[in-house]
Amino acid sequence: MKPRKDLITIESLSDEDIHTILDSAVAMKEIFTKSVKKVPALKGKSVLTLFYEPSTRTRSSFEVAAHRLSADVTTFTLATSSVVKGESVHDTIDTLMSMKMDYIIVRHKNSGIPAVIARHCNASVINAGDGAHAHPSQAFLDAFTIREKYGEIAGRRVVIVGDIRHSRVARSTSLILRRLGAQVAFMGPGSLVPPKEHTGVARLHTWDEIFTWKPDVIYLLRVQNERIDSPFFPAADYHQAFGVTEERLRRIEAQGMSIMHPGPVNRGVELCDAAMDYENCLVCNQVENGIAARMSILYHLTPGTLSHD
Amino acid sequence: MTNTYITNATWAITGQHIDLCLCPAAESISTVFLDEIPLPDVKQAEAEGKMEIPEHARVIDASSKLLMPALYDLHSHIEIPGRSKRECIMRAGEAAIRGGVWGMLVLPSPAFCFDNGATLDSFREAATVRSVADMTPAGCISLGMRGLEQAPYNTLATMRGVRILSDGEDFPSNILMLYRAMQYAEDLGLIFAVRADVPALTEHTYAHPSVTAYNLGLHPCPPCAEEIGTETLIRLAEATGARLHLQLVSTAESVRIIRRAKERGVHVTAEVALHHLLFTHAQIGDYDTVFKTIPPLRDQADCEALLEGVKDGTIDCIVSAHTPCSPFSKKQDFVSAPAGMVMLDTMLPALYTKLVKPGLLSWGELIRACCLKPAEIANPREQDEGTPHAAPLLLFDPQVSNLVTEETLTCGTLNTPFLGQELHGAVTLPLR
Repeated sequence: MKPRKDLITIESLSDEDIHTILDSAVAMKEIFTKSVKKVPALKGKSVLTLFYEPSTRTRSSFEVAAHRLSADVTTFTLATSSVVKGESVHDTIDTLMSMKMDYIIVRHKNSGIPAVIARHCNASVINAGDGAHAHPSQAFLDAFTIREKYGEIAGRRVVIVGDIRHSRVARSTSLILRRLGAQVAFMGPGSLVPPKEHTGVARLHTWDEIFTWKPDVIYLLRVQNERIDSPFFPAADYHQAFGVTEERLRRIEAQGMSIMHPGPVNRGVELCDAAMDYENCLVCNQVENGIAARMSILYHLTPGTLSHD
Repeated sequence: MTNTYITNATWAITGQHIDLCLCPAAESISTVFLDEIPLPDVKQAEAEGKMEIPEHARVIDASSKLLMPALYDLHSHIEIPGRSKRECIMRAGEAAIRGGVWGMLVLPSPAFCFDNGATLDSFREAATVRSVADMTPAGCISLGMRGLEQAPYNTLATMRGVRILSDGEDFPSNILMLYRAMQYAEDLGLIFAVRADVPALTEHTYAHPSVTAYNLGLHPCPPCAEEIGTETLIRLAEATGARLHLQLVSTAESVRIIRRAKERGVHVTAEVALHHLLFTHAQIGDYDTVFKTIPPLRDQADCEALLEGVKDGTIDCIVSAHTPCSPFSKKQDFVSAPAGMVMLDTMLPALYTKLVKPGLLSWGELIRACCLKPAEIANPREQDEGTPHAAPLLLFDPQVSNLVTEETLTCGTLNTPFLGQELHGAVTLPLR
């Protein structure tokens, strides 16, 4: 893979890049089985996590990944920083760059912020989620999880269910899966699924259509109440209309389909309790693979090279 | 002041060759009409004969140049963030003249809140001293442009000569306020310039619903918001008898709504921003903030319908929608960056290069939409209803092409979509 500075979107990667990062993730995961779960690949490098939005799993996943590559990790805490005093992103980055960071992992509620930061500094910028735009590390861990489960992604069918409109996960994960030859469909409330002419992804309307389509993986998105200013759908309807109910879980079990979810799960909304204990529920695999995928991403980026995004 | 002679010019609309003598206003030569366009203080050579030019007279040889009325712009914001008001006025005036625009309607903004006589007076004074272009302020519809309480229209209109009311581009949050304002202002002959919108539908939206909006994760701004707003405003104007000017029409359906309203005799005029005729959402590419506008750039079909509207007169004017934004503010992410482009500097060359040269718009249509109609609506040189408005003349040399660079922009900011592009045409204004 050619040296690249940043990872902002899946679009910006070549097929070769995608395969390289996925293949290395396998090797990274093997490290977890060793008694010393650490390699010196990024020894002496500084990694900064800059999360303008609350996050537990993505942030800690990146931090664990960086630690396992022996990098030094600094966490920028926004609640106590000058950002709350109205500092612009550019000025924050200038301040942070004087600390000579090699990697900046950024999450922000505005689409497009990581690209702005990437253009503005020499550090490798990794997009850990920007608005409704992109979440490439999630896409890698999802692809990795499906490949691990099924051996091959090409030819698999994946339906992504829920709030497509606000979801960066839906955008990045559907894109990487389609690049790798999977068939993807969207299902969700009418107000939250953009038309096919805009997404390029077929839309299913009901669970019956999902069962007829026979997907290998049902990928539930989290209902992001914090991102929704005025209601897009009647909340009381959601589980019944779009969630995995116990009845639907029985049909999923009968057809041997897998369940995925980017977390954190709203129990009783996207998934019934029993679905979390279902043997083909891959939510915990996703978390574990997230660390491996993020190690691979960190490993393959080269700070100081030309930006590809 | 002496006479200026222009020889061998080509009259833009008809292509006929003419010689003209521009006389100082004091001599008060009667107005000459050329294709229904009045030219003030002009003597035209006899149809066949040659004009007699005295020795040592100032002569402009206009061979291969087009002669036409200068443009009037109905939609300019002149405030430059972080700069003084004086500088804003000076730079906007220079930019306008460079772009072939002799005068403009300046919309209220936070720095120029024209809701009282004092602000209007101080602006007019500053504009007279500092601006090379004519600047006419539009009064506010509501106090402080907050959309809640009417501004003193009677004072603004009768004491300060305000003719057009606008709250910048904001749709009044209280529609009852607007309804009553229209009832009140009808007797004063004021025009309400409003951008049609349903704010609840467009809040926190940044792009036209499209592949671009989906791929970039930008919340989509539904066209129906503008269309519902257009219907609403037209109904209000119909109900109150007020005159309405629709700002920044951007969708094909809005054009159809306006066409129907005009057919049934509603007092409505409409404008389109040049950028809505030229660009679509695809230009946003990878979050290019220059192309962030309100309303957002729409589909190709909308561009075409808007142009059709200009050609058949449904849309009365093409406006610059000139909005200076500081370079830093445009360097931010797409969501945080302010909306708007600067256009004045490049107005006539851009119109020529992008619309007239490719054959999309004729000179006659351009002159109607950019010179005659806007001046008629704003009526900057107070005159009777129905009399064609006399505009200064300019010369346009279509042979010259210029690269748009930081140095060639006088407006004070760089947020032009033409930066680094060649535009055809050079403007000579004023001629005298």
